[in-house]
Amino acid sequence: MSLKKFSELFVDLDSSNSTNNKIEVLKNYFFSNDPIDNSWAIYLLTGKSNKRFISGRYLKNLFSQIYEYPVWLIDTCYLKVGDSAEVITLLLKNKNTSRKKELSNISLNELLSKTIPDLSKLNEEEKNLQIKNIWERLPEDYHLIFNKILTGTFRVGVSTGLITKSISKLINIDEEIISHRLMGNFKPSIDSYEFLINRKINLEELNSKPFPFLLANTIEDKIFKNSINDFQFEWKYDGIRLQLIKRSGNVSLWTRGQELVNESFPELVEKMSHIKDDFVLDGELLVWNFKEQIASDFSLLQKRINRKSPTRSIQIKYPIIFIAYDLLEINGRDIREIKLENRRIELEKYFSKWQNKIENNISDIFKICDLIFPNDWPDALTYKEKSRENNTEGLIIKKKTSIYSSGRKKGIWWKYKVDPMQLDAVLIYAKGGSGRRAGLYTDYSFALWKDEELIKFASAYSGLTNIEIKELDKWIRKNTIEKFGPVRSLKPEMVFEISFEKIQISKRHKSGIAVRFPRITKWRKDKKINDADSLENAYELMKKIS
Amino acid sequence: MRTQQEYLIRYKDGNLYCELADIWIDPSKPVKKALITHAHFDHFTFGCEEYISTKETAILLKERVGDNIKIKSYEYGEEFKINGINISFHPSGHILGSSQIRFIFAEEKWLISGDYKLQKDETCKQCEIVKTDYLISECTFGLPIFKWDETNKIANDISKWITNSPEKTSLLFCYSLGKAQRLLNEISQTNFKGNIYSHDSIHKMNNIYKKLGINIKDTIKIENKKKIDELKGSLILLPPSLSKGSYLKNFKNIQTAFASGWMSIRALRKRSGYDKGFAISDHADWDGILEVVKKSGAKNVFFHHGDSEAISKYLVEKESINVLFFGK
Repeated sequence: MSLKKFSELFVDLDSSNSTNNKIEVLKNYFFSNDPIDNSWAIYLLTGKSNKRFISGRYLKNLFSQIYEYPVWLIDTCYLKVGDSAEVITLLLKNKNTSRKKELSNISLNELLSKTIPDLSKLNEEEKNLQIKNIWERLPEDYHLIFNKILTGTFRVGVSTGLITKSISKLINIDEEIISHRLMGNFKPSIDSYEFLINRKINLEELNSKPFPFLLANTIEDKIFKNSINDFQFEWKYDGIRLQLIKRSGNVSLWTRGQELVNESFPELVEKMSHIKDDFVLDGELLVWNFKEQIASDFSLLQKRINRKSPTRSIQIKYPIIFIAYDLLEINGRDIREIKLENRRIELEKYFSKWQNKIENNISDIFKICDLIFPNDWPDALTYKEKSRENNTEGLIIKKKTSIYSSGRKKGIWWKYKVDPMQLDAVLIYAKGGSGRRAGLYTDYSFALWKDEELIKFASAYSGLTNIEIKELDKWIRKNTIEKFGPVRSLKPEMVFEISFEKIQISKRHKSGIAVRFPRITKWRKDKKINDADSLENAYELMKKIS
Repeated sequence: MRTQQEYLIRYKDGNLYCELADIWIDPSKPVKKALITHAHFDHFTFGCEEYISTKETAILLKERVGDNIKIKSYEYGEEFKINGINISFHPSGHILGSSQIRFIFAEEKWLISGDYKLQKDETCKQCEIVKTDYLISECTFGLPIFKWDETNKIANDISKWITNSPEKTSLLFCYSLGKAQRLLNEISQTNFKGNIYSHDSIHKMNNIYKKLGINIKDTIKIENKKKIDELKGSLILLPPSLSKGSYLKNFKNIQTAFASGWMSIRALRKRSGYDKGFAISDHADWDGILEVVKKSGAKNVFFHHGDSEAISKYLVEKESINVLFFGK
């Protein structure tokens, strides 16, 4: 199988706005290609490989050197295109040599497991020559993919969810199983692909992996008609959701984004491995203020998220805690199907057992969440309003009789946020500020997803600190796609949490909605643009509030 | 060096103007005498006392402005005099009737390129290379990232795009004058043999082209109440103005595409909101502009229409061609 097929797949996915269509295209691709190429395709499409072999700047300089093009001209082109790999691809069209396209049958596997990694074994001169060789011998239609992989910027609008759905359709097995199999470190190989499409479900193999997370829905009015006693109330912490798994003595920390983060939080792994029992816990990881016994600001947690093997001093400076709120499995027994209130009893029972063992010494890094007991719904509301004081975002309300199913199932868990009117949006335009803010880009426009398109929904100027403004300003200047007078359109990359007071239908806006007093409440550096909210989320929010 | 006022043609109020003949070229506001390079809306305005153009452009202008306008028209290459200046129209290959305009005065030649392309287009005359001393050229796509594919490759891509989704109605958005007819001509030479519908604005232009002897495929005028089943697997040509808003609700199960040179850039393609983009243009690409500039023999070049900074700097640095700037 050749790179040709993958190249066509890329074009098809890139030019489709329909989810069903994409699933169908993916399914057909997987059906008609080698397992090894398929595994690479999954690896690329789910964004697991964004290793940068060479930088965009390097690529531009190299092109300039080989083809005697002034660098300023390439830079001018970049302003129009916004992506180095694509600029070079377009410029290469002008440089089509008559050399034989010897690489027209290269497989995705060969390109990714050999051709590209081998580049790093060469010295600079050889490397440059080799890239030139590849450009000339590779058919024009594959240049974009090659350049994008080279610069670590391969992205196309495909989520893990879409891959899951298409594989699930391909082999006719539940999505949950596939999603389970896809979690964690997917390494491209024939084995990993065959494991993925294995029609036999092997429980042991799935053992080291987390359960699909149960997610909370935004609060619904109808819940207030029920008795307060039907529900369990917890604080809604603003940390990283984790499943903490200990099976056969091995601890693994899994995020909701299906990442294994053991390396970032070694002290937690170490402490938890002393516990004798095996278990799966669901909870929140936070940086904790031990003096005041409240959660520290999310920004402190960000200092730990992307740092692997943190030094001892970092561990002391940003001390973490894992707050468990659910027990899903105990000593090999899956208890997700028993009622929440009974799972809670088990959780408390085991926690006190573990805590009382002195050799465990877990109390400074692990606890279970406190429950809140409001007398009635107005009382619950009072608790919610107080949540700012202990640095939480509001309440989580859970139905006591519910089982732990997966996904955002309705009628099980609800989030009741202090400021429920919040959406995560992508920064797409910036405009220069005036007065005190002159010379800096301080007026921002934010967009939400509509299928594969980002639609502007709000503008905001306030909410960032001066340091953040400066940092963002620098980024804006480097990531401008186009200038229209004072306005710059930007590479969609940065996600911000936008809060507002009111949301309503508006015919004047392309998004169809208008929000009142929008402001930035958080720079979500931890989020990718695919994590941003969609217009659909906004409409749902609107429905819930009215 | 001469001051701007001393050039035969210069900018006045943002438009190209020849003072000696008191004549404007493609003016954006009503004037006494207007030379029109071609009949696209951004190249003429309503209300001029007199228009002067090629024969074909005159017919198109009458359709667009009204039958009652005063218009003088000439064949390509036919010279006429205004205030002692020799003026003639030459094919620019942009659309039917489109022209470059040459001025000769006191043995000095000036050429206004109008919009032009060198690529194959069977619906209009091939762009003619005209020798000149001074060249005023467009540079809409004046960056080396613009390199057009062969027209029939794009036509085949379009054909594949339609036939790969036989259950869908394919809406292709394109400019109603020029692009639509060029696409029709090309698509009829591909494997796609299904029905082609066109919006009224395109249909009208098709008829004029046919009357002027241009060979393009017959299309069916699209009626609002067409049955959805009939449209399955067929192609519908629509002007870009209908891509946003409620018009699309007339159709079910559609896929959309836009045919424009800008569609060669992925970010613009994504932002455009169309499912697909076909990079086909009636303007010259980077190589095309350079070719015309070099072959014209012009010692002095001016650019207008588009970002001229990069191409100007390039010509000065790499080709040692004198690029001049008009103050607007």
